[in-house]
Parts: sequence; structure tokens; C-alpha cells
Amino acid sequence: MILLALVVPAAVATWLLTAGRSLPHRATNLTSAVTSVLTLAFVVASVVLRPEVDRAWVPSLGLRWHLAVDGISAPLLLLTALLGVAVVLHTRERPPVGGTSAAFHACLLLVEVGALATFFARDAVLFFVAFEVVLVPMWVLITRFGDAHHPAARAEAGARFVLYTAFGSTLMLVGILALVTRAGTSDLGVLAQDAGRGLSPTTQLVVASLLVAGLAVKVPVFPLHTWLPAAHTTAPTAGSVLLAAVLLKMGTYGLVRLPLATVPDGFARVAPFLAVLGAVGILWGGLACLVERDLKRLVAYSSVAHMGFVAIGLASGTRTGLQAALFANVAHGVVSALLFVVVGGLKERWGSADLDTARAAVREVAPRLGFALILGLAASLGLPGLAGFWGEFLSVYAAWSPGDDRSLGLFRAVAVVAALGTVLAAAYALRVARLVWAGDRTSPPIEDTRGSEWDVVVVLVLLTVVLGVVPGPLLSLTHDTVSTLVGAGP
Amino acid sequence: MSTVASLDWPVLGPVLAPAAGAVVVLVADAVAPRVARLHAVVGVLALLVGAALALPAALGSTDVPRRSLCLPAPDGCLYEAGPVVGALQVGALLAALVVLLLVWPPRSGTRDQPLRGGPAVLVALLLAATVGATGVAAAHDLGSWLVCLELATLPAIALVALRATPDAGRGALALLTTSLVSFALVVLGAALWLLSTGAAVFSGPAVATALADPQRRAVLLLGLLLLLAGVGFKLSLVPFHVWTPQAYAGGTEPVAAFLAATSKVAALAALLVVLRPLAGSGHGSGAAPVLVVVGIVAAVSMTVGNLVALVQDDPVRLLAWSTVAQAGWVALPLSVATTQADQASGAYLLAYVVATLVAFVVVHLVARSAPTATPDGGDGPSRGRTLAAYTGLLRERPLLGGALGLALLSLAGLPPGVLGLVAKVVALRPVVGDGQWVLALVAVANAVLGIAVYLRWFAVLLRDPAPVGRGAGDPEGAGDGDEGPVEELLGGPVPRPALAALILSGGVLVAASVLPQLVLGLLG
Repeated sequence: MILLALVVPAAVATWLLTAGRSLPHRATNLTSAVTSVLTLAFVVASVVLRPEVDRAWVPSLGLRWHLAVDGISAPLLLLTALLGVAVVLHTRERPPVGGTSAAFHACLLLVEVGALATFFARDAVLFFVAFEVVLVPMWVLITRFGDAHHPAARAEAGARFVLYTAFGSTLMLVGILALVTRAGTSDLGVLAQDAGRGLSPTTQLVVASLLVAGLAVKVPVFPLHTWLPAAHTTAPTAGSVLLAAVLLKMGTYGLVRLPLATVPDGFARVAPFLAVLGAVGILWGGLACLVERDLKRLVAYSSVAHMGFVAIGLASGTRTGLQAALFANVAHGVVSALLFVVVGGLKERWGSADLDTARAAVREVAPRLGFALILGLAASLGLPGLAGFWGEFLSVYAAWSPGDDRSLGLFRAVAVVAALGTVLAAAYALRVARLVWAGDRTSPPIEDTRGSEWDVVVVLVLLTVVLGVVPGPLLSLTHDTVSTLVGAGP
Repeated sequence: MSTVASLDWPVLGPVLAPAAGAVVVLVADAVAPRVARLHAVVGVLALLVGAALALPAALGSTDVPRRSLCLPAPDGCLYEAGPVVGALQVGALLAALVVLLLVWPPRSGTRDQPLRGGPAVLVALLLAATVGATGVAAAHDLGSWLVCLELATLPAIALVALRATPDAGRGALALLTTSLVSFALVVLGAALWLLSTGAAVFSGPAVATALADPQRRAVLLLGLLLLLAGVGFKLSLVPFHVWTPQAYAGGTEPVAAFLAATSKVAALAALLVVLRPLAGSGHGSGAAPVLVVVGIVAAVSMTVGNLVALVQDDPVRLLAWSTVAQAGWVALPLSVATTQADQASGAYLLAYVVATLVAFVVVHLVARSAPTATPDGGDGPSRGRTLAAYTGLLRERPLLGGALGLALLSLAGLPPGVLGLVAKVVALRPVVGDGQWVLALVAVANAVLGIAVYLRWFAVLLRDPAPVGRGAGDPEGAGDGDEGPVEELLGGPVPRPALAALILSGGVLVAASVLPQLVLGLLG
């Protein structure tokens, strides 16, 4: 089942790149839609049935196809597969510019395959290989299919994306290899069970710092975030959605799976830095959003702020914190996907995303789009009842009462800063609402959302509300695995 | 005078087969000077037989290497082939095969200028250099090691010079000067080795005793450093790399491919032979300075190679500088003296050879069909030798573009070029396992630089084809009305042997990207 979920989209993507190159947009889109729906079905089945695959791949390296599902990866797998369907649907009425439709869809599918494989992987080296799979297709999406107005900016953003993340993942590889050669196994399950026993404190610290530094690029944690706004601004809407909702999650997922689970003592010593950087990221992202003039870039900076909350939750060393981080992770995936669909749609209609240009109030000319925008902004500022609330609230709470081995004063300070960050979030959300949504100008008119775009928006809005009103199922899904990782603490 | 106690002919096959092939070619040329194709056929057969005979050693076990030419003395076999050696021999022979297919004698009347000397000379030189490469890999004594190392180099110089353009002359001269200097260094090193260990064979125990004695240790270390420098020339390690771009750009693309593939295999194999007796001695022992030097040279090679490659516009020169960088990666694991490091180095080299061969095949084919055939002999880059000639290759000639794209990604170490990615993991593992963090961090930085180098070229492939020029400018493609589906994918007619070369090298690359074990498994 797991293999099917990976092989089917990969095979279709390869077919699209080779034999199906000249297929018209409609047919390509239909093929990809069927593929992604099938993939979603396979993923749902594997989440329910929890099968396990374990096959040798490169025996001389000890590299195995070891794939399985557990509580931490299940929500992310579902999110990825769901958004995989959403981005393909979203593309239905807007043929990609800049290249063939087949290549565009193949890239979307390949990114999905890479992300799914990353979440499925139970072997540290396989995890790294899967982690790298998304790079080239995403790079193609940015440089080839990105913002048609600025070819130079496109190339620069794409190169920056690839080089930053490749640097991070190679650093992570060094950490993984250090861990694997010292521990003698690359099985993530065994590594997590051993939890760093038999490794000297220095080794643990080195491994943890390498892994955290490498993954922090992908998350991204301040000050390694500078690739993100450029990439988001130029990527096509589908690419932005995948970038924010899937690729960033690979970073946080990696943080949980690798340093936190395998070298807990080393991670505990790195955690304060991570927490402080997370808090700085929240403030920095919030402040940048207050003055940013490009709407898409603004949403990207708000991602940096949200990821700051996730980092704080992870660093707190408690079960609540970890749960909060995982929840915030998924919530951010949904909310940022929603915002990028809406904002990407606005940019497409306006021709640019500059906030200084006077435009018709979205509330007046495009009420549906306006509603989705306001809902996304509200969720993003952490309004109770919407998806964003639980993750942020709980991670601030976790930082206020961190684990026993964490410095109480420092984490309290971090909690206060993070709480201030939510105020900033409210301020910039209201700024966007005032500039874009409110007002009584009605010209130049723009078309309201409909068709497949509206379908995607509806699904994402529903998910945002459901996650906000009933967070229980998701929290209980991750609960068991989190308990085994952190122990039965608070 | 001791006599050879045992002589196992099939074990010597990987060396003897191409040698016999070279002799047959020369005799055939003397008997029937008009025959053109026969030589190449003989060459292909000789290389295939050699590769088939090298396989048993590659698939054998590390503990029981296949030996031949044994003297009665203990540890006295002059020929010793374990899995790593066998795998390198297979690599060298198959790489030579691909090159041979590329230089297949054309039908008379085509616009390819044949190299001077006729097909027989070409094939014989190619085979002779390959003999050197397979021989040096298995050499276990100083004498045959030196002879084979030079045998691997000298014919290559002639191959570069055969093109008979000023550029080629300069390239051949650079190569000749370097190889003379390196030969001098190597001979001096060999003499010091003999002086310090008292044995003319590369044996572990003799080295260990020499290292234990402080006075002999100094002599041995100096000898090792000289040997290292000499081989460094052949492997294009910085600071011994200067000949590389000149020789690559001077020769034809197939000859450059030969220099980048078979010659590099020979150089690494020679290096491994020297370093193997040190295996297991580790950093605690007296050989530590040598290993540190290897590490530094590796780090500097990567950095310089990548930085210069970043600004090249001639694809052949770009590949030349990328060779320098990749040589650094190949040498990287050798800074740790273990059997695993030997395997890692060999694995990385093979992965590099496969990918770079594919790249060279495509570069050759693109240069062949470039629209404006400026007469050779000018100083500037000749036919189709700019990155701009590759604009939109992926769209216009998908087969070539796809093969080149996969090769570049493989060199960069990004999926779908999984082979290159896995090779990087393999090469980094011993270094990290040994705790050499600085070297590991330099390697990380260079992995990123390398990606920048190869993506720069890949981005050109991906661009939209230029609206004017290419399509209409291809006289051969435009003339033929009835292009088959394959020719459509290739964007014009391609000689059948070159197509075979593309399929062979590309097929290995694709297969190895799906199952990296196919290549890595050869090394045991």
C-alpha cells in the first residue's frame, strides 16, 4: 500500500516527462488529478492499516526501503496527499505559463512523492534521499513556471532556494552519518529506542547541533529564513502552496524524528538556542509583515513567524510542547495553503501583489475571495475557534512551563516574547484587512473566485474551521507516539 | 634469480585482452592497410573480453584476492586483484569501450575529420592506455606499477596530439610536461620507498616495520608524499591540475572523455595501490601526516575546481574543472586509511565516471551537429562548444537533453541522479565516521557549490529553444525527410556507434540511479 502510494505518482510523473510530453493541458490535468486522488486513497489506506515495508536497496551502504506510518507522520501524510489533490485541481483552469503542462504536473507529482517518501521513511539515510527528491522539481517550478514578469528574480529565487536547502540537507547528512556510524544502525525506530544511549555527551551535542542546524534551514528558523520570501514571491500558486504546506513541514518533522528522538540529551542542550531563535523569528516575521509591501511576501514572512511557534514548542521538551508543535505544523499547512491560494489568486487578477496600489476593496468586488482572505488572516493571527489557535496557544503554554531540564527563566522570557508576537500578528492581519479587504472603492473590478479555485478554497476553509473547533482527533492521533518520545511527562 | 612460481592466465585477462587486441590491430594494419572498420571491431571485442574476465575479481571477496605471477617469496605475487581492483578494471574497460564507440571510423565522405594516423593507430593507442589502466590497478610491485602507470599516460598524450590543431598541440605539450614531471616525482618516490622498506613490493608488513623505525619512517613519508604528488598530477588534484583544462579542450571530445574516465580510473587505482599497505594503520600510526596531506589536497581540489567551473562557458572546460572538483571528492575518503575508505573512493569514482561519460557523449553529439561549423584550428572554442548551444536541448532533442540532464544532476548529487547522491553519502561516511569535522564541513560547502555549477548548465537545457537558428541550421537533419521516431528524439541523425555509446552509458546511468547497488555492489 505504501509502495503504491509512492510508485504510482512517480511512474505517472515519469510518463508525463517522457511519453506524455505533448499531451494537452486538459488531458494532463485529468491524468494528474486521477493520480493524486489514487495516491490520497493509498495514503488513507496506509494510515488506517499501518502496513510496513522493509526491503534492502543498497546493501553495501545498509540502505533499506523501510517505510511505515506512525502517529507523527500520519497527519502530515494526509495533509500532503490532500494538498496534492488540491494543487492539481487548482491548476485545472489555469494552464501553467513558461513551459509544458506535462512538465508542470510532473513536478507537482514529484514534489508530492518526495514529501510522502520523507514522511514514510524509517531509515535515516533513506530519509535524507527522500528529502533531496523535492529539490529539483521545486526548483523547476520556481525558475520555469514562476512569476512571468521577472525572469531574473525567478532564476535568483530558484537558485537561492536550492542552494540554501541543499546546504541544510547536506549538513543534516553529516549529522545523520555521524549518528549512524556511531550507533551502528540507520533504523530510525531502533535509534529512537536507544535514544542516544552509548553515545558520549559530546557526540550527542555535535550530532544534535548538526541536525538542528541543517533542518533549521528548511523549517526555516531565523536567521536562515532568507530564501523563503523570495521563493514564495516568485513561485506559482501551486508551488507556493506545496512549499509552505509541505516542504516546511519536512523540516519540522525532521526535527522531531531525528535530533529530538535519537539524541535527546544533545537536543536538550541545543534547545534553548532553538527556542530563542524561534522567538526572534516570531518578532522578526511579525515586524517584517507590518512594513512589507508585497502581499505574497507578507504571507511568506508570516510563515516564518508561525514556524517560530513550532520551534518553541519543540524546544520546550514537554509532551504538550511537542503536541502543540505538531498541531501548529498541520494547522499552518492548512492555513498557509488557504492564504497562498487566495493571495496567489489576487496577484493573478491584479497583475502584481503590491499593497501600495489603490485597488477595489475585495469585500465589495469579490465577496467569496474576501471571506476566505479574512478567515485565513483570522486563523493566522490565532483566533480561537480556528486552526491556528491551538498550536500557538499550547506552545506558548509549554514554553511557560518547560521540561525539568530546561532553564525556566529563559523559557518564560521566550513565552512572553511569543505572546507579544501574537499581538504583532493581529496588527499585521488587520493592516492587510484594512488595505485589501475593507474600503468602498469598487474599481477596477476583479472577478470573484469560482470553479476549481473556489472548490479548493472551500475545502481548506472547512479544514481550518474543523481543526479549530474539534482539535481532539488530531491531538489524540499524535498522542501515543509523542508519549513514547518524551515519556509520560506533563 | 627466482622464477615465477605460478602463473594464472585468466586472472591476467583484464590486462592481456586489450594488449592482445592492440597487437592484433597493429598487425592487421600492416597486413591490410585499407581495412578501416576491422580495427574498431577488434578493439570492442578485446575490451569486452577484458571486462568479462575482470568481473570474477570484482564479485569475489576482499579476503581472497585473485593473484597471479607469484614468486616463491611470501607476499610475492606481482598481480593482485580484489573486488575494488576488479571493479575499477571493469570501469576502465567499459569507459574505454564507450570512447571507442565514439571514435568509430566514419564512412568516407562525412564531414567528421578523422584524426591523423588512421583508425589503427587510434584504436591501438586507446587499447594500450587501457592496458596501463587495468595493469596499474592490480600491480603489486614497484616495477610493474611504474611501467603500467606510464603506459596509461603516454598513449593518452598521443591521442590528444593526433587532432593536430594548435590547441591540441598545446594540450598535448601540457600533458607531456606534466607527465614527465610526475614521472620524475614518482620514480624518486619509488626509490625512497625501496630504500626505506627494503622491498620492491607494496606490502603491509614491510611498511609497518619501516614506520616503526624513526629514521626509516622519515624516508618512507617523503617517498609517500612524492608518490602522492606524482599520482596527484594524473588525478588532476590541485595544485597539480593545471594541464587538465588545456588537454581536455585541446583534444577531441572523445579523447577528453577518455582522459576524464579511463585515465582517472588508472590514477585512482595507482593511488589505492600505494595507500593500501597503510590501511588499518590509522591516525595513531606514523602515516598520519600523509593522510592529513591527502585531506588538505582533497579539500582544496574541490573548492578550486568548483569555483573555477562556476564561470566556464565552454562545456568541455567546465567538465575539465568539474573533474578537478570531483577528483577532490574521490580523494576525500582516502584521508582515512581503512578498507571501507578504499571502497568508498572507488565507488565515488565509478559513479563519477558513468555520469561524466554520459555528459561527454552528449557534448560530442551536440558539437557534431552544431550549425555553424567554424573551421577547426582557431583559438576560440570550436563547434557548438558554448553553453548557449544547449539552449532548450531538453525540448528539442529530448533523448540527448534527458541523458545530459540526468548526468549533470548525478554529478551534482541531486535526485533523480540518485547514483551521485548515494556516492556522496558513501564518500562522506568514512570521513564523518573518523570524526574529521573540518573536512566534512568543507565537503558540505562544496556539495552546495557543485550544485550551483551543474544547475547553471541544467538551467540552460531547460530554457525555451531559441526561435531562430538551431532547427533550421541543422543541415543533416533538415535534408532527411523521413526521420524515424528515434531520430526525432535525437534531433537529427546520429551515427549508430555513437548511439550505442549513448545507450550503453546512459543505460548504465539510469539503471544505477534506480539500483545504486549495481555499481556499489561491484566493490564488495
